[in-house]
Amino acid sequence: MADQLYWDDIEEGQEFNLTEPMSSQRLVIWAAASGDFYQIHYDDDYAKNNNLPDIIVHGALKGMLVGRLVDEWKGEQGKIKNWGVSYRGMDPAREDLNVWGKVTKKYEDGGEALVDLDVGVAQPDGTQTTPGTATISLPKR
Amino acid sequence: MAEQLDDLNDDMKAAVGQETGRTTYEVTTQGARTFARAVGYTADKYYDEGVAKELGYTGLPAAPGFLGMPVFNPKGGGREETFENPFKRRLNGGTEVEPIDQVYGGDVLEAVSRITSLELAAGRLGQMLISSSETVYTRESDGVVVAKTRGTGISY
Repeated sequence: MADQLYWDDIEEGQEFNLTEPMSSQRLVIWAAASGDFYQIHYDDDYAKNNNLPDIIVHGALKGMLVGRLVDEWKGEQGKIKNWGVSYRGMDPAREDLNVWGKVTKKYEDGGEALVDLDVGVAQPDGTQTTPGTATISLPKR
Repeated sequence: MAEQLDDLNDDMKAAVGQETGRTTYEVTTQGARTFARAVGYTADKYYDEGVAKELGYTGLPAAPGFLGMPVFNPKGGGREETFENPFKRRLNGGTEVEPIDQVYGGDVLEAVSRITSLELAAGRLGQMLISSSETVYTRESDGVVVAKTRGTGISY
């Protein structure tokens, strides 16, 4: 388990990320987990007949990958206040996605030690398809 | 292509604030594990209830964002349309999650959705109707609101 992150140690501009392979098997597992069985996510012929270059990653999966990024980053004692993303572009499957976060603001409010983040999902060439924001509460030392 | 609208019609204006659906979600332990697997979690607490309890959880925790699955109805049904939408093609514009209380395998949640705003806009796909909604998830066993989600839908 990762060491606990403390608010005192956070600096604005700090970045973190994870790299996630998006195999067709991964998308099938997500379909089972989410109940989203739209064929553009697992049926090559169906996707191509809908003018897509390949099967594409579910938007909601990308949103939840961002949730995992911030959940793992905050540690057991941190708390996710909220996170959200916009779906601005499609990501073909069978490529790695870069799920990233960057600290934009560190502050205290209502007795809580908070951190605002920019978050997102990017393709291997750096194309940003899923920008968003998050707010996390962290423990103080 | 849908008829161009100068403004929201009366049905659309009346739909803002109205309840659009009330759905029961089951958070099963297997569902929680499958979600964690799909999203790539490796922390034992999301798979092993014993480990989770050693960390202070009261059961198998659902990873953030997992709010169960709606009970499947083979006869269809589901969300009611509160107005006739002239734009037939739809995109998911985005999602926001506000976790409020820990969700556990075994929880049953009631989800109540409302449209919070409707707006006409022009885009590269032509005229669009942008719909914002909020869903509140309440645990049936204790009446605690465990999460809110907000979504943006784009019809064109």
